[in-house]
Amino acid sequence: MMVQRFSSEETKKAMHSVVKEMYDKIVGGEPPTMTLPVRTKNNIGFDAKLGVYKYGKKRSIRDATSLGSAKQLLRALYVVEFIEEMIDAGKSSTLREMYYISESWGLGKFGSQNESNNLAEDLEIVTKCLREDFKLRPEEDGARMIGNLTLRERNRRGEWMRINARDDVGDSGYGVPYNVESEKIELLENDIDFIMAIETGGMFDRLIENGFDEEYRCGLLHLKGQPARSTRRIIKRMSEEWDLPVVVFLDGDPWSFRIFASIAYGAIKTAHISEYLATPSATYLGITADDIVAYDLPSDDLSKKDVEALNAELSDPRFADSWWQDQINMMLELGKKAEQQSLAKYGLDFVTETYLPEKLAELGLA
Amino acid sequence: MAGIAQKLASNQKQVAISEFFEKNKHFLGFDSLSRSLITAVKEAVDNALDACEEARILPEINIQIKKLDLKKDIIELKVEDNGPGIPQKSIEKVFGQLLFGSRFHAIRQSRGQQGIGITGVVMYSQLTTGKPTHVRSKISTESTAAVVDIGLDTRKNKAVKSNQGRELWELKDGTMKQHGLEVTTQLKAKYQKGRQSVWQYLRMTSIVNPHAEINFIDPEGEIHHWPRVTERLPTKVESIKPHPHGIELGQLQRMLSESTDSRLSVFLRMNFSGVSNRAAKELCAAAELDVGVKPKQMKPDHIRALLEAFQGEKMFNGKPVKMLNPPTNCLSPIEEMLIKKGLSKTIDSRFISTMTRAPNVSQGNPYQIEVGLIFGGNMPADKAVEVLRFANRVPLMYQQGGCLLTKAIESVDWRQYGLDQPGAKGVPKGPAAILVHLASTNVQFTSEAKEALAENEEVIEEARKAMLEMGRGLRKHLEKKKKMAKTQEKFELINDILPAIAAKSAEILDKPIPDLSGSITRIMSAVIGETSTVWNKETKQTDVSITLYNYTSRSRAYTILANWPEKSGAKLVDNDTGGRKEAMGVWAWKLQTLEPGERIVISYSLSGLEKGDWVETDIFYRGSQEVIGAMKMDEKYLEEIRNQENIMIEMNLESGEQVESSDDSTADSESPEIDLDEIIASLGEPKVPPPSGQSTLFGGEL
Repeated sequence: MMVQRFSSEETKKAMHSVVKEMYDKIVGGEPPTMTLPVRTKNNIGFDAKLGVYKYGKKRSIRDATSLGSAKQLLRALYVVEFIEEMIDAGKSSTLREMYYISESWGLGKFGSQNESNNLAEDLEIVTKCLREDFKLRPEEDGARMIGNLTLRERNRRGEWMRINARDDVGDSGYGVPYNVESEKIELLENDIDFIMAIETGGMFDRLIENGFDEEYRCGLLHLKGQPARSTRRIIKRMSEEWDLPVVVFLDGDPWSFRIFASIAYGAIKTAHISEYLATPSATYLGITADDIVAYDLPSDDLSKKDVEALNAELSDPRFADSWWQDQINMMLELGKKAEQQSLAKYGLDFVTETYLPEKLAELGLA
Repeated sequence: MAGIAQKLASNQKQVAISEFFEKNKHFLGFDSLSRSLITAVKEAVDNALDACEEARILPEINIQIKKLDLKKDIIELKVEDNGPGIPQKSIEKVFGQLLFGSRFHAIRQSRGQQGIGITGVVMYSQLTTGKPTHVRSKISTESTAAVVDIGLDTRKNKAVKSNQGRELWELKDGTMKQHGLEVTTQLKAKYQKGRQSVWQYLRMTSIVNPHAEINFIDPEGEIHHWPRVTERLPTKVESIKPHPHGIELGQLQRMLSESTDSRLSVFLRMNFSGVSNRAAKELCAAAELDVGVKPKQMKPDHIRALLEAFQGEKMFNGKPVKMLNPPTNCLSPIEEMLIKKGLSKTIDSRFISTMTRAPNVSQGNPYQIEVGLIFGGNMPADKAVEVLRFANRVPLMYQQGGCLLTKAIESVDWRQYGLDQPGAKGVPKGPAAILVHLASTNVQFTSEAKEALAENEEVIEEARKAMLEMGRGLRKHLEKKKKMAKTQEKFELINDILPAIAAKSAEILDKPIPDLSGSITRIMSAVIGETSTVWNKETKQTDVSITLYNYTSRSRAYTILANWPEKSGAKLVDNDTGGRKEAMGVWAWKLQTLEPGERIVISYSLSGLEKGDWVETDIFYRGSQEVIGAMKMDEKYLEEIRNQENIMIEMNLESGEQVESSDDSTADSESPEIDLDEIIASLGEPKVPPPSGQSTLFGGEL
């Protein structure tokens, strides 16, 4: 399923509706406003049709009755104007560049880069456009991939390059660019059985050194912590276009659970585009709370923040199913968490020779 | 005149003076090398300030300290003033006599209550270095200055003068010195820095003497300058007679024995304040004494009975004899505005709150409490606030913990006023300094060292009240600052951001810029008050304007009130809006109805002030809808102002009556001999006793 994309004219029109809301309020003798969905876990719900979590119906109105909100509205107007100019000039800029360009916006100047990032997201949500439609690029660190899969990437000179992510790359693998849409990347062919997304670089390198990708016919992907949009997007494209299973191999702690939720169900911050980023068929491989006990893994005590995060997850609709509830409760009972690399307790090859084969066998992938 | 020295000499006590010093140096202020220097500076500077005050001269005092011999800790101190100078024949008296002057028998507020006098410095200098003190004095009626070296013959226990002469006193700029005094002395002492130092003493002195110009060159040659910030001299204080409630047995005995009155009733009426003809008779009756008894011949039992009648233990018709309070015009408070100036010239800050309470009486002694709080600026936020204690304008630098004034500070829960105070105990923490000044005719100390004030419930309570009021001032200021920041934000919103939103959205949509008035009313939906208080150089007045905006959709009616420094002698002029006086220092304007979107401006000027006297005007309102930028008038607060005002008026009336009903006489009579032990004893008493007459250590043989 492809996500709908906007043309330049449609993008402008969507943005103008935001501007019109403000303008009309002033004409009506009211403070100008901008209406946004509430962006918390209390306002996300499962969309059965799309199979992912989306924002619900709760709306918040940002109105110009306080100085802070009024400045936000003014900045939004400057951003709209700036995007229009970029669309017309056929240019793009990074979010960071926009932050610096705002230096010349006088009263509409951003206070921090975080503000400009958030505002770009606000506009995406309100207009239902993508940041790519706005010609805005993130600074995010994209993932790297290794495995016998082949794709085409259009380079800076506009030429298409064919790349095999096993034969045409070095040890660091293929670097995923920020834009992985069809105008930039085409997925050509593969000879693998599944994709494994891995949290830490250490584990990614261990699997490569042990030749796991070839032995188990899989594509390995390094998430680099909380995965960037383009990382989640390319996982989704590979899963859908090549019809490949996706397994996710993370640390065993509350934060890894969140990473998985953002890959499989959609992140709260980007719930407006969950259907575009989330891979509902992805499976959590480990480390599970069970694993800590079953493999007697070296573990650390949960910190106060860990416990808070786990408790928050218990009431998060994305973790509402019984498997997750059990895992979270078990971790709370244990009071322990474990890293992926704690598997090295049993030797460097334990992960590739024992742990992963056993876990994959449960899923019928090995 | 036969003095102690003569007596000593006749007894062949050759070492008496050095012994005197050695035994009593702790309360003479010479117990350590660093304190000795502070004491020497203190005596010289206090003398200079007192002399200038008496002669109504704005003081300019230059102090210089040089290290002469580092190994032996020999220091040279030079203090020069622009006071009236001392006539040549009196120099020896001032510098060579112990307890010279009026300090020990006049009841009034004076700096000199607290020391042995400059003579002590001369003695200390002689004893530690063997060198005389050099004095140069110029009075305005003579063309040349008198110079003399005053020393001490320790063998004969006599003051000696040498190198006497006259010279021209030329100033650095080539002009001639009109009048003034210069004292140069060498002493064994140590110069130190920090909380207990000459620098701190001068800094504190400068705070409570904003009319003085003080320059100090320290041993490293660094120049410290505390400028004069007001041309107003402290009010001249009247001396008063003792009040029966504040008298002790020894003092009463002495007064009676020195009396030349023939009748006790006359003696009572003439020698005490607060004693009317009626009270004198009633006191005699209460003490079961005949009104015609000759005071000089009264027996100890009678004296004790009289004292008991004074204290209300012996009663008349079953009640203690009623007496008027003593007059309070013997006190010289620094006054709120000058405390502000004194503090702000010395300490960088954002806010100052001050409070001078009405004079009060405790055990027959008039006293008055003043407090000041200075907040913000560069002061450290995580340390205890600096406590600046003063008694009769003299800095108290030692024994902070044991002092009544500190205890008063500690008795306040400062947390409710915006300062940190762990457990609501002790001196609060925060970027602040707290000043407490006790002006009194009878300052009671905890010990001979005279650095800490003794407990007195009434005085503590009075100081506490003053501090609570000042604390409220701080809290109001902090709240006002918050509110003002909010108001500023709203103004920025409607004046800058909203027009920008309108213009930008119109530009993007290619439509005309819409009218903003509807949005503005909805955004502000408030009545806003703004004040500006600025010094007008041309008219030498402080111009105040108060603007009230109605940004609501309904018409509003208010009475606006503003504070102004009426107590400090300011006049309200060019007040075209009229209004009326609401209380001391509070003016009120009942305003016409303000329609939506309208504004009204009240403007007036304050005359009779100096630049910097009045920099912020507080406004209050009466009316139902809140006014941002103004405080709702607290009618209780107005009531408190009126009460204080009434107390002031009553006090003035009373003291007025006192002046009329008594004539000046008696306090000074002839001088009987007093022996050294008694002087020591009297010096050692925590209270300042008022023995009558002069007594000299060196006798009249100078």
